Amino acid sequence: MNTQEKGQVIIDTYDVVVIGAGNGGLAAATQLALNGKKIVLFEQHNLPGGFASSFVRGRFEFETSLHEFGSIGPPSNKGSVRRLFEDRFGLDVEFVAIPEAYRLILTDPSEKLDVTMPFGVENFIEAIEKQVPGSRDSITKFFNIAKEIHGAFRYFGVTKGNPDQGVLMKEYTNFLKTAAYSTKEVEDALNIPEDARKLLNAYWSYIGLPIDRVNFTIFAIMVLVYMEYGAYILKNRSHEYTTAFDVKIRELGGNIEYNTRVEKILVENGKVVGVETSRGDKIKTNHVICNASPTITYNKLIYPKSEVPEIAYKEVNARIHGLTGFCVYLGLDATAEELGLKEYGYFILKKINTEEIYNSWSELQAPGGQAAVVLNVAIPKCSPPGTCIIYITTLFKPEVWKDIKPEQYVDIKNKIAEELIIQFEEATGAPIREHIEEIEVATPVTFARFTRTYNGIIYGYEPESWDSIVPRLMMMGQDKYIKGLEFAGGFGRRAHGYGSTISDGYTSALLTLQELIKEGEGK
Amino acid sequence: MSKKNDERFIITIKSNTKDLFAFTKLVPQRKKRIENASAEPITSDPINDIARKLHPERQYLKISEIKEETKSTRTFKLVPDPDSMTTELAYFRPGQYLSLKVKVNGVEITKPYSLASSPKDALHGLYELTIRREEEGFLTHYIWDHWKVGTKVKSSGPEGFFYYEPLRDLKNIVGIAGGSGITPFRSIAKAIIEGLIDAKLTLLYGSSEEDDIIYYKEFKELEKNYPDKFKVVYILSCEKITLEGCEYGFITAGIIEKYCEVKNSSFFICGPQIMYEFVEKEMEKFKLSNKRIRREAFGEIKDVLSFPDFPKELVEKSFKIKVQIGNLINEISALSTESILVAMERANLAPPSKCRSGECGFCRSLLISGDIYISPFSDWRRSADKKFNYFHPCASYPISNLEIKVPRHI
Repeated sequence: MNTQEKGQVIIDTYDVVVIGAGNGGLAAATQLALNGKKIVLFEQHNLPGGFASSFVRGRFEFETSLHEFGSIGPPSNKGSVRRLFEDRFGLDVEFVAIPEAYRLILTDPSEKLDVTMPFGVENFIEAIEKQVPGSRDSITKFFNIAKEIHGAFRYFGVTKGNPDQGVLMKEYTNFLKTAAYSTKEVEDALNIPEDARKLLNAYWSYIGLPIDRVNFTIFAIMVLVYMEYGAYILKNRSHEYTTAFDVKIRELGGNIEYNTRVEKILVENGKVVGVETSRGDKIKTNHVICNASPTITYNKLIYPKSEVPEIAYKEVNARIHGLTGFCVYLGLDATAEELGLKEYGYFILKKINTEEIYNSWSELQAPGGQAAVVLNVAIPKCSPPGTCIIYITTLFKPEVWKDIKPEQYVDIKNKIAEELIIQFEEATGAPIREHIEEIEVATPVTFARFTRTYNGIIYGYEPESWDSIVPRLMMMGQDKYIKGLEFAGGFGRRAHGYGSTISDGYTSALLTLQELIKEGEGK
Repeated sequence: MSKKNDERFIITIKSNTKDLFAFTKLVPQRKKRIENASAEPITSDPINDIARKLHPERQYLKISEIKEETKSTRTFKLVPDPDSMTTELAYFRPGQYLSLKVKVNGVEITKPYSLASSPKDALHGLYELTIRREEEGFLTHYIWDHWKVGTKVKSSGPEGFFYYEPLRDLKNIVGIAGGSGITPFRSIAKAIIEGLIDAKLTLLYGSSEEDDIIYYKEFKELEKNYPDKFKVVYILSCEKITLEGCEYGFITAGIIEKYCEVKNSSFFICGPQIMYEFVEKEMEKFKLSNKRIRREAFGEIKDVLSFPDFPKELVEKSFKIKVQIGNLINEISALSTESILVAMERANLAPPSKCRSGECGFCRSLLISGDIYISPFSDWRRSADKKFNYFHPCASYPISNLEIKVPRHI
């Protein structure tokens, strides 16, 4: 018998097939398994996690993409993701708190700044006031509105998406009044001083959209959640919670198949009827939760193509595809202390003009900004004694990389990596180049290689006001074109980010469960 | 405090009505933008195209030429096999390897071989692998008997991290090679001479027999033509030496110091397990930092008994392993001194693998129950994998009956 040679084929029927073991897929699969559904999770890579992973080089284990997790919070003040992980899913993971919010360094002589900001809404406001006297009032208003928005989302949840208009108008006025505006428009209306905005807007690169384009709702919630709950990482890198998900799914009777790519979602008369994989597995199912983007799903996965309605292509084309990433991972033979690095997270920019920096990502050049992490500051023992781990990240428009020839690839990525290293050295004064023991450089091509995301994009659709989470959530159900197909992940309702994609996967599971219950009633 | 509610700040951005109106327009506006967008499908995904070019999951190759290199080694020239959909070869970094998938007597196994050719040749559709016929094992015997011009060979994309990295390494490269460990250095030497790498290579190459030195003439020629970029020192451990200018014995600290600027070089070591043990002990005297010494993973552990912490009482013990792979469950038997990967291959389960050294993690599997031995020298597991009992079968040995879950091969 040689089962593998012919390619072992699985033919089976499942309640739900989950495509992709990224954050969204893992959360969805776990919730479905908790509800006793027969599920299979297909993942094309040999590991769970998608971008949430780790890899080993020599003596070092690097985090692939996580800088900091919002929505975790301390055990005494659990954020939504900690509640999901611990209380709902029962995952065996260990979180570590990040000591301070960030160190912001502006390097251009005209805007020179080097300041470290604390967590905690009050502390944060205080720190800005100290830097920019007279800003307290407007920043306080920013946070009060953010809290109201956060409350509005909770209220949406409690009312299962059917809020009482009167309550919204009375209790959540500021949510309604800001929902359609960009962050810049709201900050202008609040008269926040320019110098205070430098500090307040530092997290913008986590959404990857300039302040004049990013919707206020999503930005305000992000800043608020970081300030209220602090930020966390995993003791054993992201691979710890993604593997904890894997273990939990199996424990609950779910099936996970790695090295297996779903190539077709079979649709008949507008309804999901099954999936087919790269190795010829044929699975019957009426429900798919897809961690791949709508872009990939409608353009590549739905079979036959005639089952893709025109409106689905239109939706994909109307939306603006977000950015891809670039990351330099460094294992150094000096400690963070020896290098004089006391902070965990760094935003290093030439100037704060977010539009200018965003535009710098449209060219194959030294980017105008970077976000860096010194992992050992939060987890001193994450690398052997006498060493430390630093990773430096920046962003790119995917198109910039499209014409690169294989033989140019290493030179180009190394040149950008070197420029990022120099930027970091000049900004912090830490001589890291001479201490490199391990180095790996991930480009948009790397992100495409390991996740197969469209164009290597690490962020989803850009949340401008017209396509931010509020209209996306309000249109839930209306933009569902194929019965039995739900999306989860960075291209989903809650946009990109670790916390949002996990919550979104959970929501997709609940929606699918509702459908399953309805079908059960129908029988 | 009681006045707090009265003082509640209500923002106005344009005007009260306009702001609320803008909210009510959010959904209609989004619908309109979608309705007005193009209905053209997206057919291109250029970044994934580049990713597939650089890192193909598989390459189908065909032998175009075989050269007798020495009495025990052959160089195989490999070209794309368009019949199997491979039309071009992936570019690589000199020092990387291919994981070949070979079916020997009905059993499919993988084996990593360093690319010995220049990356430039890959652009023209050529790879070269130099393979030594080994006494033990059946793979190389099979290759000698069956690989002819025209034979089809299944391969991975280029893999591995044993390459010169300008952001880290010094421009003086010292290559320390033993036996067939010379092959990646041929690729590095060619890349240096062709100007792909801006560095200088000094090779210290240990062999046990004069007539089994690989690339002898070729390297002599290169040395003559590019004296400022390339130098080889032959170290022979055989009794009788007729070649000129060779060193006798092993690669000792003395020899290294004699030919290299120890403090101003990056060392790359590739050879059999026993050579690493010897050379690294010698090099301890130099007190070099870790970053100056790169080691190629030495492949499968040849003799797990040589590790002091291996439980010796279990030698020759055989265990049962229950293997879940896909939807199937197989019970196989395995020797304690044989890696779990080998046991699975022997049972014809075709498990995934690439490096066979514990390093790449491609064979990562779940240990459901039982105990395994993992050598500390081949343990590249992620820390969370240790926590949750995931392991790398190519570098793990059964020391009790086991139950494991293994992914299907790509």
